[in-house]
Amino acid sequence: MPSKTVTLTNPTGLHARPAAVFAKAAAAHPCAVTVAKGERTVNAKSVLSVLTLDCHQGDELTIATDGEGEDTALDELVALVESGIGE
Amino acid sequence: MTAALLHGRGASPGVAVAPAFVMAPRPRPEARSDAAPVDPAHEHERLDRALAQAIGQLEAVADRLSDAVGAEEAAIFTAHAAFAADPELAGMAHGSIDAGATAEDAVRDAFGAFRNLLSASADEYLAARAADLDDVAERVVGVLTGATRPVPTERCIVVAHDLAPSDTAELPRDLVAGVVCEAGSPTSHAAILARSLGIPAVVGARDVITRAPAGVVLAVDGRSGEVLVDPDEVDRDRYAKFAAAEAERRERLEALRDLPGQTADGVHVELAANVNDPGALDRALGAGAQGSGLVRTEFLFLDATDAPTVDDQVAYYRRVLDAFPGERVVFRTLDIGADKPVPFITRPPEENPALGVRGLRLGLAEPRLLRDQLRALLRAASPAGGPTATGRLAIMFPMVATTAEVDEARAILDEVAGEEGVDVAGVEVGVMVEVPAAALAADRLARRVDFLSIGTNDLLQYLFAADRLNPDVAGIPDVFDPDVLRLIGSVCRAAAAHGAWVGVCGEAAAEPRAAAAFVALGVTELSMTPNAVPDVKDKLRRHTGDELRAAADAALAAPDGTAARAAFKEALR
Repeated sequence: MPSKTVTLTNPTGLHARPAAVFAKAAAAHPCAVTVAKGERTVNAKSVLSVLTLDCHQGDELTIATDGEGEDTALDELVALVESGIGE
Repeated sequence: MTAALLHGRGASPGVAVAPAFVMAPRPRPEARSDAAPVDPAHEHERLDRALAQAIGQLEAVADRLSDAVGAEEAAIFTAHAAFAADPELAGMAHGSIDAGATAEDAVRDAFGAFRNLLSASADEYLAARAADLDDVAERVVGVLTGATRPVPTERCIVVAHDLAPSDTAELPRDLVAGVVCEAGSPTSHAAILARSLGIPAVVGARDVITRAPAGVVLAVDGRSGEVLVDPDEVDRDRYAKFAAAEAERRERLEALRDLPGQTADGVHVELAANVNDPGALDRALGAGAQGSGLVRTEFLFLDATDAPTVDDQVAYYRRVLDAFPGERVVFRTLDIGADKPVPFITRPPEENPALGVRGLRLGLAEPRLLRDQLRALLRAASPAGGPTATGRLAIMFPMVATTAEVDEARAILDEVAGEEGVDVAGVEVGVMVEVPAAALAADRLARRVDFLSIGTNDLLQYLFAADRLNPDVAGIPDVFDPDVLRLIGSVCRAAAAHGAWVGVCGEAAAEPRAAAAFVALGVTELSMTPNAVPDVKDKLRRHTGDELRAAADAALAAPDGTAARAAFKEALR
């Protein structure tokens, strides 16, 4: 189960459109995807769960994938967050 | 007896006199039902069906709004549909059913759990989403219980404490003469929707529910915010006159619909519509727009997880071209930067996206995207079935600062045209003038292109170094600033010297007085939100070119923007 920790760079954090974009991108992969901030780990494919993490710029997130295509999925999602989710 | 008078804030212009229809809040979720034991299999099935039905309803509302008022207004319902489709939420609700809950209680549990998590946040945005969740939860429970809110069955003024966006979106437009809310602000979602739907609305009218019981006649002025309860003859007459004046104005504008945009002495001005998404096409035609001076293509890209294919793009571009037979249709190539999210473009984060890799800069940095888009545009303009009644393709590059960028973009266009075996001589090519350097370089740019289109929003923001979304500085730029007008005039003269035409496609083009000033300075095409076309047309057709130029001269001689606007207005009295 590969995982990686990334720092959230985009100004509004994982809110609004970035949260929806992130959850949608996660849902596009067949493997399970989780995202964790501090003690809390949630299903990255659930936009509501992602919102409840209340992630802001500068927060460290750990993304983990498990199952079919887990490496590709992790690379893509990490790249998405590192790119600032377009913000 | 004088009618009782309530003062709220005008939220959507227009007047209406009709009986009040009090819209009660949706029934609050009832206490947990501990009645008969439930059959879990049956409840699982009811839950799935109700969620699916709610998602379908929300998507239908989003579609309808997208067609009626635009993608932005529809976005909130797309988000609501995503909440109802959330896998964790459904999982939690099914878990409650396994533990013995009814589908209704399971929905309340699951939405309630997320609601509590979100409303605990100090973040204003998240707290607002908690209210959204209530709206969606009530809808799903409503589907389960078959309970529906009463809706008006005859012409009325809807009175409510507050209206959720979905309430406003689902009101029967033909029966609702006006809306009065106790809560809300002119910038609330319900107010914005009322404006887009053309329903007069007043918000912040305190105690209106207790003072205006159902059936009592109300007179509403959505401009001043005045609400009269049980108006007498005199007031009714006054409101009838308001309404007649408003109707007369609409009729006059309607009569102009099929007439060309021109000055009183017959100088033609192209009045085109900005097209942000497919929903704008009908509104553009309904408003009598001649073609489009700005087809934004971002919506194809922004919500996509993968870059749209050439074929997908061709289908949309052709649809837009076909909507305007014989008219010019200006497509702007992808205008995004680091401030807008596109999952399939991975670029390093930028400290300052407004001054970073955006617009044509991104197109040149990611030439595959630009090439695909140009290819799709050329293919859309030359259907395989031979010549048909379609629009005339024009291509516009955004965020241009230097001539080198234009040369590079044109070279890519020529290359793609070569590969496609298309002659681009018949395709007009232009650039946006929104960077001050481009305005100053108008002469050198005009040698290279067929047209320049001034994007007033960004041009003003960059000229004055003031972010128009930052309320502390948004008031600094003024399109009537005499030196801004002078700059626009100089762009027009430089373009004319090389046979290029100049358009304006920023928000200022939708303001009749500013539009008239642009025409006086030499602009021959104005592209605006569709709803604004009739008012701008009306304004231009009232004045001759000489009158407009004299007014512009008065504005140019004024000491500042406020004085220039006043001088322009005074000269056209």
